[in-house]
Amino acid sequence: MATAASSSSLPSLPPPSPKSPPDLYGKRRDTARLHMLDREITFLEVELKNVEALQPASACCKEVADFVVANSDPLLPSRSKKNHRSCRFWKWLCGLPCLNLSWICCCCFCCEGFPVHLKLPSCHCCRPCSCCSCSCNCLPSINCSLPKWLCCCLCPTSSSNCCKGSNCCSFSKSSCCKWSSCCSCSRSKCCKWRRRSCFSCSCPESKCCQGSCGFGNCCILPSSCSFQCPSCPSCCSCKCSCTCSCPSCPKVHPCCCCTKSFWRSAFCCFCC
Amino acid sequence: MSLSQPKMSVAELKERHLAATDTLNNLKQRLNHTRRSLLDTDLAGYARSQGKSPVTFGPTDLVCCRTLQGHTGKVYSLDWTSERNRIVSASQDGRLIVWNALTRQKIHAIKLPCAWVMTTAFSPTGQSVACGGLDSVCSIFNLNSATDKDGNLPVSRMLSGHKGYISSCQYVPDEDTHLITGSGDQTCVLWDITTGLKTSVFGGEFQSGHTADVLSISINGSNSRIFASGSCDATARLWDTRVASRAVRTFHGHEGDVNSVKFFPDGNRFGTGSDDGTCRLFDIRTGHQLQVYCQKHSDNDIPPVTSIAFSISGRLLFAGYTNGDCYVWDTLLAKVVLNLGSLQDSHEGRISCLGLAADGSALCTGSWDTNLKIWAFGGHRRMV
Repeated sequence: MATAASSSSLPSLPPPSPKSPPDLYGKRRDTARLHMLDREITFLEVELKNVEALQPASACCKEVADFVVANSDPLLPSRSKKNHRSCRFWKWLCGLPCLNLSWICCCCFCCEGFPVHLKLPSCHCCRPCSCCSCSCNCLPSINCSLPKWLCCCLCPTSSSNCCKGSNCCSFSKSSCCKWSSCCSCSRSKCCKWRRRSCFSCSCPESKCCQGSCGFGNCCILPSSCSFQCPSCPSCCSCKCSCTCSCPSCPKVHPCCCCTKSFWRSAFCCFCC
Repeated sequence: MSLSQPKMSVAELKERHLAATDTLNNLKQRLNHTRRSLLDTDLAGYARSQGKSPVTFGPTDLVCCRTLQGHTGKVYSLDWTSERNRIVSASQDGRLIVWNALTRQKIHAIKLPCAWVMTTAFSPTGQSVACGGLDSVCSIFNLNSATDKDGNLPVSRMLSGHKGYISSCQYVPDEDTHLITGSGDQTCVLWDITTGLKTSVFGGEFQSGHTADVLSISINGSNSRIFASGSCDATARLWDTRVASRAVRTFHGHEGDVNSVKFFPDGNRFGTGSDDGTCRLFDIRTGHQLQVYCQKHSDNDIPPVTSIAFSISGRLLFAGYTNGDCYVWDTLLAKVVLNLGSLQDSHEGRISCLGLAADGSALCTGSWDTNLKIWAFGGHRRMV
């Protein structure tokens, strides 16, 4: 092996280094993508030729309408004599014949001549419900209007303050989260997509709730991701300690609710 | 063009790529234009022109007949058997429960190896159940197996291979040995359960498939070689299991994730439900979008659709929403005829899943309130 000359007249050359291999993998990938595009173009050209021969939407709509009309449906209300089977099925499911035909707070109607007692609507109002008037088609002597399923609520304030299905609230409707007990949360704390309960969202707004917890903030699950949370109060304030990477993530939200599961000793978090 | 020997330079490749993309976009535009010209009406317009009367429900026509209580976490998925009125449900509590829908009895409570379950399905014979979730594995349980020493039903087969979570699964009708899964890795897979191996992969990096997570699948009841998938890429795609390399057709229209797909009972159409708050009906042979089902809200905040199901005649479309509503749509006239969420004994949380009994006589809804509810026709029939 020749040694480098130590003469001062020769410039010192950089040490030899091998040439880096050509980026064939990247090129192969791009070539494959181009191949895929060319294939797509071929398919679309064929589709363009075929689409002009397709029937218009009205022909498809006729097929749908004809199919629907031709087939009976046990879930559809019918005013004919047919469908005795589903009537009997309903009777079996919904209990014994009515023994107490008191028209006060009792809604009853007939199925093929047999009076059946419906369950009373349970009242959630802070005061007893007024009687829901009932209808009994087989007993014309009882003169009632049609039954109402929603509870007649006698909250002291106007009905607009009585949240559906909940206690009468002394707050305005905007503060009473739908379906929950009356809560004093402000709108900004009651995250938009969860109207049911107030909770303190420890995630910043951009990471919380509808639309914002999108692909950019999702986590790859499960092995690298720890969902261990500290014990949570009833309002969720825990955070998930996931590292985030896009886009291979399920539709999860980093702000999760902890629930105590009977099958596990620790608190479990599941985000969905 | 050979993939094995790249002959073009990088610059030439880029140029060809740009040209091909332009051609593709141009073709798509022309295709869309031609398709739009074929949309001479939608289903509601046609039904009105034929003088169809709307479906009307009395206050007691559709009632909650049963509430199935037992899960301690959100219910994410449910499926009916083909017979005998059993339901399997999957929950955040890490359990599958098999219920007798009539008696409310819990027949099995299966503790899962991974609690993060997202989907479950009954086999056609009712002898086994499948489930999958964030562990990326589809687990099969044989309901007739003996339990282990802890009283748990063992996993009889694990279908591994997906690179992302399993969002949906369904057995191929009349075949206990094959099922299809949809996954967060953007693919759908047809599995042979006997061997535990993949038969076909639909989509993927170099195939014409979804470009985002697959969220839902539905197999055509009239032709089990055909199935539809819905995805976060806002499209639904139709697949033929004999041709895995490319979707038969891609259905555009939604403006958000397609969370749910379900075939219409005639097998020639399918419905979708999306984050954009709408449901849509598509024709599989022509690709036409036949109807959009959208309910305007006063606050302009349209809740996403989580799940859909058609009644057995197709006249009713049941749609569950994130705000707990469960609209019953008149499919022909595109009108909401009932909201199960406003009825007595309705759920107190998001409707996460829906399913119709095989004979069409009952609907089961699952919710984040941890319950399942059975809804059936409770109206009276006047003697004519």
